[in-house]
Amino acid sequence: MILQLTNASRTVNSGSKKIALLDSINLNVNEGEFISLMGPSGSGKSTLLNCIGMLDNFTDGSYIFLDEAVHTMKEKQRSKLYKEYIGFVFQAYHLIDELTVYENIETPLLYKNVKSSERKALVADILDRFNIVGKKDLFPSQLSGGQQQLVGIARALITRPKLILADEPTGNLNSKQSTEIMELFSELNKEGVTIIQATHSENNASYGSKIINLLDGQIVSE
Amino acid sequence: MIRSYIKIAWRNLQKRKVFSFINILGLALGFGCSILIFLYANYHLQFDNFHHIEDRIYRVVTEEHQDEIEYEPSVPPGFAEVFKSDFNYAEKVANIFIRQDWQIDGVDNNANNRLLEDIVFAEPDFFQILNFSLIKSLGNRDLTEPNVAYVTKDFAKRMFGDQSPLGQTFVLENKETIQVIGLLKDIPINSTVRGNIFVSYESLKNYSSFAYSKTWGGITSSLQCYALLRPNQDIAHIEKTLIPLVSKYRPESKNVHRYKLQKMSDVHFDHKYGGINANLLWIFSLVGMFLIIIACINFINISTAQAFSRSKEIGVRKVLGVSKNNLFWQFILETFLISFFALLLGLAIAIMVLPKFNELFQLQLTIQSLWTFKVFGFATLLLIIVSFLAGSYPGILMARILPTLALKGKLTQNDTGGKLTRKVLVTAQFGISIMLIVATIVISKQINYAITSDLGFDKEAMVMLEIPEQIELIKLKGLKDRLNQIPGVSSTTACLSSPGAAYNDWGTSIRYHNRPQYEEFSISAKLADKDYLNTFNLKLIAGRNFFSSDSITEVVVNQKFAEKLGLSSYEELVGKSLEANRGSIKATIVGVISNFHDQNFQNGIGPVFIAPEKSAYNELAVKMDGQDINTQLQAIENRWKEVFPKFVYKYSFLDERVASQYKEEQRFLSMTKLFSGLAIFISCLGLYGLISFFLARKTREISIRKILGGKVKDILAIVLQDFLKLILLAGAIASPIAWYFMNKWLQNYAYHTEISWWIFAVAIGVLLIITLLTIGYQAIKAATANPIKSLKTE
Repeated sequence: MILQLTNASRTVNSGSKKIALLDSINLNVNEGEFISLMGPSGSGKSTLLNCIGMLDNFTDGSYIFLDEAVHTMKEKQRSKLYKEYIGFVFQAYHLIDELTVYENIETPLLYKNVKSSERKALVADILDRFNIVGKKDLFPSQLSGGQQQLVGIARALITRPKLILADEPTGNLNSKQSTEIMELFSELNKEGVTIIQATHSENNASYGSKIINLLDGQIVSE
Repeated sequence: MIRSYIKIAWRNLQKRKVFSFINILGLALGFGCSILIFLYANYHLQFDNFHHIEDRIYRVVTEEHQDEIEYEPSVPPGFAEVFKSDFNYAEKVANIFIRQDWQIDGVDNNANNRLLEDIVFAEPDFFQILNFSLIKSLGNRDLTEPNVAYVTKDFAKRMFGDQSPLGQTFVLENKETIQVIGLLKDIPINSTVRGNIFVSYESLKNYSSFAYSKTWGGITSSLQCYALLRPNQDIAHIEKTLIPLVSKYRPESKNVHRYKLQKMSDVHFDHKYGGINANLLWIFSLVGMFLIIIACINFINISTAQAFSRSKEIGVRKVLGVSKNNLFWQFILETFLISFFALLLGLAIAIMVLPKFNELFQLQLTIQSLWTFKVFGFATLLLIIVSFLAGSYPGILMARILPTLALKGKLTQNDTGGKLTRKVLVTAQFGISIMLIVATIVISKQINYAITSDLGFDKEAMVMLEIPEQIELIKLKGLKDRLNQIPGVSSTTACLSSPGAAYNDWGTSIRYHNRPQYEEFSISAKLADKDYLNTFNLKLIAGRNFFSSDSITEVVVNQKFAEKLGLSSYEELVGKSLEANRGSIKATIVGVISNFHDQNFQNGIGPVFIAPEKSAYNELAVKMDGQDINTQLQAIENRWKEVFPKFVYKYSFLDERVASQYKEEQRFLSMTKLFSGLAIFISCLGLYGLISFFLARKTREISIRKILGGKVKDILAIVLQDFLKLILLAGAIASPIAWYFMNKWLQNYAYHTEISWWIFAVAIGVLLIITLLTIGYQAIKAATANPIKSLKTE
């Protein structure tokens, strides 16, 4: 089991009222699963992804990640944990505009203090694998959306994470690019990477092994 | 990692060219000024540091205790010998006697080979105390002989060309023929004792019998006494044991001397004894710091305002696993990079303005003096300090940004923070500018007051001619007659000095009428012929002028003298006797004149008497009518030269002499002008940057307001009012502070101008106008833009 949520909730204060963004979520994710989170806007998909990804915290309940209790950890420990095991892919790609493709992919390795020679090898491998060697010196603004997302995924994979969290990864792409990206995810999943994606599209969701529907912060069906 | 930081910093710089430019230019100006100020301070701090045994070298100076204490960087001529023979504190003691601009002629007396030089008469031991290196000398001869001299290479070159100077002779001040027996290295520019010709003290007897004598009867500031103490002396103890000398050698005098030992390293900074005002160095350094702070504020303001536009990058980095520490250092490094470029530009600016700076502050700094380890160290230190000063706060703010909000673009200006900080910092900038403007106005007002006020004597169209010492009275009389014939010259007077801005001054004690004791105060003697009163337009208020005479039998005194004596009626003074200079002068008071400013405005008016004494005349004052001055000057010069063909003609205008009493103030003014200008300019750079961001954020609000029917002027008001409020706030805070310090400064002056309310109004007004000009254009552009365009992009 890669992660286990028990009665995990996230509430925020809005004025004097408490609003539950996530309400008593119970979820087990096994290694190698490919889960699609579905639900209307505001149902809590992104919040759940952020909380699983430790960018945000549950305010209640327990969160066990690889046998460690995340909900009792300090920020520094959490940061170490997600740096090690989790990769993010975003709808808006979120590449750093001032860095080239190569440098964008290299950045997570810098933060993990990977040695220069090893970094070079790793980045070269992934550029090769994604067929973007020729684009390595271009800046994000010089790439198409699909290419940018490819770089985004490459960047997420560079640290060899166990879990990829993808928040509407094809939301800004046309259908052809979408298919390419989803097939890539599928392939990665087959290689053993666990994936959780949030999506609006039934078609994209069908790539996954399991679909979870969210509504108003609660899981309505699994 | 560092390479990656530098890379992104560099790309950020390029991407935001305008703001990089503002930041770099502002910091560069701050750096440039700081480097120059550092050089300036360093120049002064290095004064007299080339003497070998510096910590044992002392100058002996005198406190003159009368009703007030006066400070003389000198001792009576007899002091040195007694200090040497009666005490065992010093290894060496030597007098020197310094004169400026003395005339040097070749033995052939060819007028083309005539120089004006600074002369130092020095006892032989002087060269054992201070480190002035003798390159070579003539045999074993030294300065024990009369009429011999050591000269510097610089003088030798100018006087004797390529010939060896040793054994050569020259005529000093049209009197003695002096032989050169030694060649000195040029005197370093950081030496307090300056001169090109060091004549043996034995030669002095034919130039100043007073200084040459071993008398204790008076002090001339031309004489200085240096001592090399034995190791480990207790200075306070020595000064104490010197106290009884006064009762032994000056038993009668009301002017009680206290001899003090002044360490060589303190000489340059002791303002009381003619050193520079060390406060000035502090003020300079403080102002340099202000400029750097202002530039840092620009940086902080622009960076925090920018934080918003950089939030996405930071969000992404956080998701990729960056730690707060890493982010902080990334930002510090960016700041460092910007500061580094600024430093390079600052150095270039410093090099460019160095000549102007030298001129302004009368320095001789060279570009080479920039390439020293010290300057390098200082620059590095500045670089590091500025990187942290300017980079820390924005760095912390950035590190705090929440990635989930940043990536969704839901971050508001409030989340990136720094709004209040920016307001505080902008207010601080405005405040500093206001203080500097106020300082500029007050200083120039005081200078203007000092030079345009009625000083009680006439200084306009008055030219002062030097006359050779001890010339026959008949020649002087002849010169006066010839000058008086020149059309436009209304009168002339021979005198020791002008009434104010005096080159020469003689103070003495007096005994009035039948009082048993000499008075506690010292009186200034203005020795002059009978035309003095009418030439300088001094107003007689009781009695009459003295009759023409060769020596002091009748005197005219001023009102202050009566006041000091405690007399209310000036008439009462007339006819009373006056004894001065321990009985050697006995005279009758025949008249009383109104007070005039015999001293500069730092000091009050002192008691003065005016009397004729032909042996004391050093100058000739010529009053012209102010029409066609050039022709009259030429005529004066010609006639002077006819009478004194062998002498160099030297003259000065009295009004310029009065103004030159405030040289330090003038320099201070140039400094505040320069620095307040820079402070305002750098602040404006920052404002320009800030307003761009402000407007970028407000575009939407402005557009909506326009669509709802807002007028351009209402919209302008929204933009401007924030800044105007800050200026007024800054004015409210800065004005009392500026008032406090400038009032304190004015207290240095016995006569000073007032700090009126309008000065603050002007300072704030000037800042308002400059601010409006800076932000006005952009504000108008924003207010008149088509609202549809900006709303579409939302």
